[in-house]
Amino acid sequence: MDYFDRFLTISTADPDDARKRKILNILLAGTGGVSILAVLLSIYLLATSQEDRGETSLILWGSIATLVGVLVIYAVNYFWSGRVAAFLFLVFLNTVFAFTDTPEQVVSGRTFFYFTIPIFMASILLSPVSSFIFAGITSVIISTIAVSIGFSPNSPAIIGFFLLAFVSWLSARSLEQALDELRAINLSLDRVVAERTQALAESLSRERIETGRSQAILNSIADGVIVFDKEWNATLANPSIRGILDIPLELVVQKNFRELIEHPRLAPRSRQLLIAMIDHGTQPVGFRIEWSEKTLSVSAAQVYDNQRQNIGTVIVFRDFTREAEVERLKSTFVGIVSHELRTPLNAILGYAEMFKEAVYGPMNDKQVNMADRIMKNTQRLLGLINDLLDQAQMEAGKLTIHAQIVKTADLLESLHGLMDKSASDKSLKLTSEIDPALPDSLTGDPARLQQILVNLVNNAIKFTDQGSIHVRLFLHDNSRWGIEVSDTGQGIPESELHFIFDTFRQVDGAATRSRGGFGLGLSIIKQLVGLMNGEIRVQSKLGEGSAFIITLPLFSPEGISAKWRNT
Amino acid sequence: MSELALIIEDDEDLANIFAEALRGIGYTVEHAADGKIAQERLRNGTAPYLILLDMHLPHISGANLLAEIKQDERFAKTTIIITTADARMGETYGDQTDFVLIKPISFVQLRDLTNRLKPKG
Repeated sequence: MDYFDRFLTISTADPDDARKRKILNILLAGTGGVSILAVLLSIYLLATSQEDRGETSLILWGSIATLVGVLVIYAVNYFWSGRVAAFLFLVFLNTVFAFTDTPEQVVSGRTFFYFTIPIFMASILLSPVSSFIFAGITSVIISTIAVSIGFSPNSPAIIGFFLLAFVSWLSARSLEQALDELRAINLSLDRVVAERTQALAESLSRERIETGRSQAILNSIADGVIVFDKEWNATLANPSIRGILDIPLELVVQKNFRELIEHPRLAPRSRQLLIAMIDHGTQPVGFRIEWSEKTLSVSAAQVYDNQRQNIGTVIVFRDFTREAEVERLKSTFVGIVSHELRTPLNAILGYAEMFKEAVYGPMNDKQVNMADRIMKNTQRLLGLINDLLDQAQMEAGKLTIHAQIVKTADLLESLHGLMDKSASDKSLKLTSEIDPALPDSLTGDPARLQQILVNLVNNAIKFTDQGSIHVRLFLHDNSRWGIEVSDTGQGIPESELHFIFDTFRQVDGAATRSRGGFGLGLSIIKQLVGLMNGEIRVQSKLGEGSAFIITLPLFSPEGISAKWRNT
Repeated sequence: MSELALIIEDDEDLANIFAEALRGIGYTVEHAADGKIAQERLRNGTAPYLILLDMHLPHISGANLLAEIKQDERFAKTTIIITTADARMGETYGDQTDFVLIKPISFVQLRDLTNRLKPKG
């Protein structure tokens, strides 16, 4: 039944030729079937009845001939040409119809209407216009038969044939047009589907390549990488993490970070740092932890998806043991050297002062001036050593911020005490003001704030030849306050502005050297401000002066960022 | 009679400068060059009017000496000035002493301070 259904089904999407061949096959099958029935029936009649044996045998031979014709046409249709087969079939039908009945019946009787069948079929099997050809052929056939038996040609029938051909032509034409359009739509749909499929396949393979590449990169990174989701469950870790932590990968992947940091190899102090990192959600760059004998540097970064949604955190662990050791040695070395240098310098300073103060008898002006110069140069040297020591401590993460209550007025008072003389020595005015909105007391490290102020004012004095230096403490917003130190000095070229905070970097080497700079002051200020969770920026115009503006939190709960670095 | 100042300082030059500053304004000066000498001097000698104590000393640290001084009734009236190069150490011991001077210490600064500390009249 299924096969029968399939046999009778003609897909509109089939190409024209195939479709027509299939229709022809169906018709051939029908005709063949009828012929077989006729053969069987005539054999039965010949065997059982004595009546009309001549006519019955005629039907038998006619049916056998039809069956043979059907097979021949099927073969032509199958092996050679659908068009030729269809043409043959239609001619064959006409022939069969012409001889199936008496000529009278064929010309104007019961068989006459059979001839309409090939005309109609021609429009479907061959082409719409071929129905006219078969109308012509049929007209010739019946006219010839009519003439041969002495009848006049049946003109109304011939007109009828052509009318039928016209109607068949119209309907077959519109059918073909509809089919053509359908086919065109199908074709474009197929094309779209093919294109989409191709694109999908390409993007899939691209993604596979990308994923493979990312995986390869992740696997070949020497640092240990763990990716956490928002709940701090480790979703991914690279093989290097095994070597860095010296534990099996199973203890890391699919485990919560809080479980991992309970591991006994982690120093208690480092555990606190990591817990603080999870709780605060802040991601300082490169703080250190102690993992048994190793020092690891930890960098954490938030991971965002395409919609800017936070989907977790990626943490990179780097074996920092050697570097940490070198840093420790370096800072110890710098510490010792600084101490050993400072003591004799203190002695030089003291002796020079004693000369100047004429402790051992009166001095002339030149001698006093010389003692003064010895003192100034010694102080410069001491300043340099202090900066180097600060820098070394900062790099070793040893410089800490001790937050306590600070009175703003005290800050300015001691600043004036320390810097007024330096300013007046260069005939500069050092002025200051406190924004009335600023609270009298705030949280901060008084010594470090003092260091920042003195450093900035010192710089301002150094680079200002006339005019004034103004210090302003102000309320920035609800949670932050600010320090602004402005001068009327030479200013900083715009091209140099962005690296004046770099370590050992100086603007215009010659000018700075003549003014006794050494390129560490601003870098240290910037790092100190960073430790206090603050920001520093600079505004400057060549020839008009510079302004350094620092903003700091009003109340800091014991400077968190200072703790991070303090390993 | 002039007031007695004890300078506990291992660096000879600094001790010399401090001594000159104090002598210049009328103090009688004694010098202890390390922690051990200082400890013996403190235990056996008379209580000074003023002690200049370096925190970084050989043998016995300034911190230990300070603890001993604080426990001894004889030094109740003695003014103690800590001298140190380490600002953090200055912060730590600031509460237990009268003054903290961070090195480098200026001759003039020390002279003026100790001059003010002399008994009035």
